[in-house]
Amino acid sequence: MPNGWPYALGTLLCWIGLVEGFIAVFRFVQGVVPPRGTDPIAMRKGALVAALIAGVCLLACGPLLRGHEGGAVFVPLVWFIMPFAAWLAVVAGGFALASVCKMPFAARTEQATLTKRAATLAVACAIGAWLFRRDPSNSISLLKGAIPLTAISAGALLALALAATLGMALSGAYAKSRGYSKAIAAQIALVVGSALFGVPFAWLVITSLKEDQDMASPNGLVWIPKVTETVPYMNPDDPVLEGKYEGQTIQANIVTHNPDGTVLVNITKPGGIAGRSFTAPLASFKQVPEDADLVWASFQGQHVKALVADHLADGKDQLRIVEPSSLKDTEFKALPDDYQKVRHVGLKWSNYPTALEFLSPEANHGLTYLGNTLYLVALTVVGTLLSSSIIAYAFSRLRFPGRNALFGLMLSTMMLPAAVTMLPQFLIFRSLGWIDTLRPLWVPAFLGSAFNVFLLRQFLMNVPMELEDAAKIDGCTYLKTFWSVMLPQITPALAVIGIWTFMGAWNNFMGPLIYVSSPEHMPISYAVQQYNSDRGGEPGYLMAVTTMSMLPVLGLFFFAQRYFIEGVTLSGLGGR
Amino acid sequence: MILDPNTPNGIAQTDIQHTQGTTRAAGPLQNTYAGVNMGRTAMTRRSLSILAVVAVLLCGCAQVGRDTVAKPKQRDLVIWGYSLNVDDKGNQGLINEFERLNPDIHVRSLSLGAGGMNGQKLMTSIVGNVAPDVINQDRFEISDWASRDAFRPLDDLMARDVGDPLDPKESQYYPAPWAEAVFKAPNESEPHVYAIPTGADNRVLYYNTDVFQAKAAELRAAGLDPDRAPRTWSETLAYSKVLTESNPDGSLKVAGFMPNFGNSWLYIYAFQENTSFLSPDGRTCTLDTPESEAALKFMQDGYNLIGGYQVAKNFESGFLTKENDPFLIGKVAMKIDGDWIDSDLSRYGHGLHFATAPAPVPDDRFNHVGRFANEKDTYITWVGGFSLAIPRGAHNVEDAWTFIKFATSLKGWQIADETQRTWDRHLGRTYIPRQLANREANEWQFTVLAPAIPQFAGSVKTHKDVMPFGRIRPPTMVGSLLWQEHVKATDNALSGTVSIHDALTQGQVAVQRELNAFYQQDRYPVVNLSIAGYVAAGIAIVSLLTCIVLFKRLRLGRIERTEAKWAYLFIAPWIIGFLLFTLGPMIASLFFSLTQYDVLQPARFVGLKNFADMFGADRENVLKAFTNVGYLAGVGVPLGICTGLGIAMLLNTAARGIRFYRTFFYLPSIVPVVAATVLWHWVLSADPDKGLINSAWRNTITPWLHAPPPGWIEAADWSKPALIVMGLWGAGSGMILWLAGLKGIPNTLYEAAELDGASPRKVFTNVTLPMLSPVIFFNVVMGFIGALQEFDRVFILKSNDGPVGEADSLLVPVYHLFNNGFTFFRMGYASALAWAIFAVILLLTGFQFKLAPRWVHYEANS
Repeated sequence: MPNGWPYALGTLLCWIGLVEGFIAVFRFVQGVVPPRGTDPIAMRKGALVAALIAGVCLLACGPLLRGHEGGAVFVPLVWFIMPFAAWLAVVAGGFALASVCKMPFAARTEQATLTKRAATLAVACAIGAWLFRRDPSNSISLLKGAIPLTAISAGALLALALAATLGMALSGAYAKSRGYSKAIAAQIALVVGSALFGVPFAWLVITSLKEDQDMASPNGLVWIPKVTETVPYMNPDDPVLEGKYEGQTIQANIVTHNPDGTVLVNITKPGGIAGRSFTAPLASFKQVPEDADLVWASFQGQHVKALVADHLADGKDQLRIVEPSSLKDTEFKALPDDYQKVRHVGLKWSNYPTALEFLSPEANHGLTYLGNTLYLVALTVVGTLLSSSIIAYAFSRLRFPGRNALFGLMLSTMMLPAAVTMLPQFLIFRSLGWIDTLRPLWVPAFLGSAFNVFLLRQFLMNVPMELEDAAKIDGCTYLKTFWSVMLPQITPALAVIGIWTFMGAWNNFMGPLIYVSSPEHMPISYAVQQYNSDRGGEPGYLMAVTTMSMLPVLGLFFFAQRYFIEGVTLSGLGGR
Repeated sequence: MILDPNTPNGIAQTDIQHTQGTTRAAGPLQNTYAGVNMGRTAMTRRSLSILAVVAVLLCGCAQVGRDTVAKPKQRDLVIWGYSLNVDDKGNQGLINEFERLNPDIHVRSLSLGAGGMNGQKLMTSIVGNVAPDVINQDRFEISDWASRDAFRPLDDLMARDVGDPLDPKESQYYPAPWAEAVFKAPNESEPHVYAIPTGADNRVLYYNTDVFQAKAAELRAAGLDPDRAPRTWSETLAYSKVLTESNPDGSLKVAGFMPNFGNSWLYIYAFQENTSFLSPDGRTCTLDTPESEAALKFMQDGYNLIGGYQVAKNFESGFLTKENDPFLIGKVAMKIDGDWIDSDLSRYGHGLHFATAPAPVPDDRFNHVGRFANEKDTYITWVGGFSLAIPRGAHNVEDAWTFIKFATSLKGWQIADETQRTWDRHLGRTYIPRQLANREANEWQFTVLAPAIPQFAGSVKTHKDVMPFGRIRPPTMVGSLLWQEHVKATDNALSGTVSIHDALTQGQVAVQRELNAFYQQDRYPVVNLSIAGYVAAGIAIVSLLTCIVLFKRLRLGRIERTEAKWAYLFIAPWIIGFLLFTLGPMIASLFFSLTQYDVLQPARFVGLKNFADMFGADRENVLKAFTNVGYLAGVGVPLGICTGLGIAMLLNTAARGIRFYRTFFYLPSIVPVVAATVLWHWVLSADPDKGLINSAWRNTITPWLHAPPPGWIEAADWSKPALIVMGLWGAGSGMILWLAGLKGIPNTLYEAAELDGASPRKVFTNVTLPMLSPVIFFNVVMGFIGALQEFDRVFILKSNDGPVGEADSLLVPVYHLFNNGFTFFRMGYASALAWAIFAVILLLTGFQFKLAPRWVHYEANS
């Protein structure tokens, strides 16, 4: 028995007391204003019993909970830290006990069920206990805790709970208000639920628009992004030059001045070729302003607004005063700790382009990845739709020897996990010389997929025979019949399968992981994983990349929501 | 639901197919056609045509994107593993100069790839004949690769170009780094050079002198000198004890010394104890010697002193980088680390005072007593680093060799260093040279380029001084495995799950098994796989001919015959796909599972050994993998089902705005799995300053229950719950099915129940649940099959090296298979694992179908 069990018992009693108290209020009100078809006397009796239990529990829990340093008013909490086996034993034991307690009151027909249930649960409880005892290092410990409340907040919570109870009890009496209260409760639950599901999204987008310094905060997360104000500034000592390199407009910094009037420069933008150096005449460049951060600093005891002109080798920064005008353009040095950035609420959109600049040059700002994914998705979707529909057509509308056997064979292949065929498939694609191409990922789509064939076959079976007969009379070949008569009949199913295939191909991660290695063949899913492992420490960029990677899918979802949602019911179980 | 929410993708697709195929055959599908609105057909066709047009455009677009890089009339030289980040100017300068000197060579450098511990990409590319020409490879893995015949020996090239001043020679190099790139394969008579070493990072003790001075009085009181670093292990612990500070809640405020923080691992302590985990002949793994145990014991003592390993781990999970690096801000007083941290220290450590000293050694070694009485070296360090190698099958060996010669020569280093220094100066940063394996270049660096700031000059000097005492991880074909096992053993022992002895023994057994397999492989006969291929092709042709003959003999009318021919033509794609990608691979996989096959070398027939290994030598991993996945499925699937059903019940209340809410709940399930995992990795960050969940936890549960926020993915106990929580976010995909199921329950049943005066709970258990049981069954079966094949999320969450989740708590069967198959290319064992996974899925599904009649209620039957 872990230390502190009196507190645990007290907590249990306290909670039972609270719940029973509300039940008492509920029943009491129902006794006064009884809902249709209920007996007010029974309600009042119920209220009395509940009140009694509540009173006893609340009185008893007082001494047990004493000694907790949680302030005057608190709601006690406990939590047990114990292994799974112990939880299994406790939960199963509890339910078994409940079943046993129910037995005397149950109807004769239910007795057998209850006995069976109690026995099963008791066995589960025993197994749990045995597992727990088997490992001597297992132990149970108890966390004592409480939600501290001030008198006012406790009163407010109590009032709110009472109001809700009263509302529930009263609304039970009148059919119309019952509808309202149900709707309100449902709306509240739905709003809370969708907020829970939506918060990670919000966090993702907000994080992708935050500055680095807001990523971690000891005072709770930063939900309102701020940006540092900047001003254009031409640094005479370290100018940012704009010029041409291999036909592209680039920005660069000077590395060295050569005696012949040329300069060695290092490209800073665009990111794809950032870091390359080349030599060119100084005259072929023109200086452009850069964005300098604005900061609040103090200069000779005066509060000044300055721009950060340069970062110096000794760790100090060169500041140049902007305001007040009397000191304008005075320069001085300061340590980064000695000034504050001028910030205002705003979104740091530059995280997005900057994140893309870290991609390798082959990635072409991620366009290569996007192109690869779209190429892959397009071929996969087209391949799947074409092959699956024509195979399904043969299986559903044409008669040939061995049809049923082959169809059965096809259905049975759906049983096979991909893991089994993964390695030999790799060797097959290797012998074809297809490693590090996208072909292993889309070519199989042209060979049909059992599930899609199965689904389409069900649809094609429902197409009226008359259509086909008419086509035959018109002298259509089978191919023509398939293409002009059958396909138009099953477009909704094709749309759904197309969307599923799209999602599958877009999400495919393991395939590229196995087959693709060079960036020029890499699809988005794998590229995001690479980005995560390369630059996982920079949440702003990472979240920007993540957001970008899911935008097209979200776009498709909003465009074709119907097929996403209704498509699921196609799978055969829903729409019965 | 653990099942990947984004069905149908890759693996998951197969599962759905499978279940649907087997659940209830065609029955309910007969009328699904009516469920889809026929009136929208026109719109569908339009969107399909849009899709087609987009597809065509994109193919073009992808093609355009592809051609932008190539240049004519130049030979491409593909280099992998060279970092060309904004901060690595030296490599860029080197490549620029190389291209200038060799105008006919175009260097294509991809930083992606096998630089690190994960060689899966490199191995796949070598096996797949698309290997790069040059690979910058972690040097300790060279022998591992060489033993698998993955790298080309360089001796012939070195001998041929011996007159070339750039030709690398052993005499130019420090002995340890050079020895690391030389390997003697068991079947070779003499060792070969497989790579040319580049950098040579070694480890020394970094200590924050500000922290030391702040605690000077306490240190003196404990009899310790605050002006110097500890020199022995016991001194280190004594310093750490004084310097460590804890918060009232038991968490750490300042850690004096965390033995495995920085870059020490067990290796450096083991080297100091004169053990290196492998016998000199390379045939026996000695991970479990008393010396290793002593080294691990020291690490354990170091952690116990500061409150335990878990406390230290929690402390570490809150660490940041750059300006807030724990060493810079004095959260960590001492650490053993390599010279690569100097540049960050100079960049971000304004006002930081630190010093360096050789890493502390065992007391006996320092005092030259006991086992170390005759030992002449007091200090020992661990040297690692990278090297340039040419993978087997490289298309452009000559240019690759030209590049390697240039890059590893004094001239090459001078260019790289000067470029880097110019760049650093331009950024206002201090240039700090890194240690090189090329002794000549290293000496040149420190005479010409030594930094002016004393503490960095000191650091560089300390590193250079201990260079001759460097030890290397032993060159062996099981290098990666030894590394993985050593990390695992360290972690297991430190976290206290097993004793030091047991942890090391487990690791030793795993490594020894692989060594034995290697040395004993001659016992098994070589099988020629191409014969198997011919046999398969023969069988296929014979059966095809039989089918044709049978077909000819059938009595069919002309029209029927034509129809059948067309039908065969139409299903031909599936037949081809079935033979090529399902039946063939299945048979091949079954065959592989009886062999030992790594693709590069001939396969050997080993009988049932692979299956025996699963229950024998590799039992622990297999068991762990299946237990983990059992946890994920057993807890995750029911929770997912409850969540999905709960949402559906809420949505089914016919409240206003259902369409809006439905979208909201459904949206997370269509987020691509990579994006969702990356997002949740941050949402579940252990640091309450950053993580969404832990930030909320700190504000509620911590003050209420005095429970510190959990480590989630970083903690062994919490990583699986973390994955389950992540899965619940996508539970909305199931909700649609639930909603359809709920709508399908006839209202008359509810009305009847209401007339009988049933309470809402009774209605739920006696009407809703039984009516929904087919949907529940469907979800249970599908959920389990999906969960058993968990892979993507685990792969994305795992760190680049080391275990899958803390203490392998996220090791799952498909990951184990992938790792064996594509990192080690143990095709045989991986195939055996695949069949084991298949068997488990089949058994479980069969069991569920067996149980189904007891609780699944079909309206039609009653």
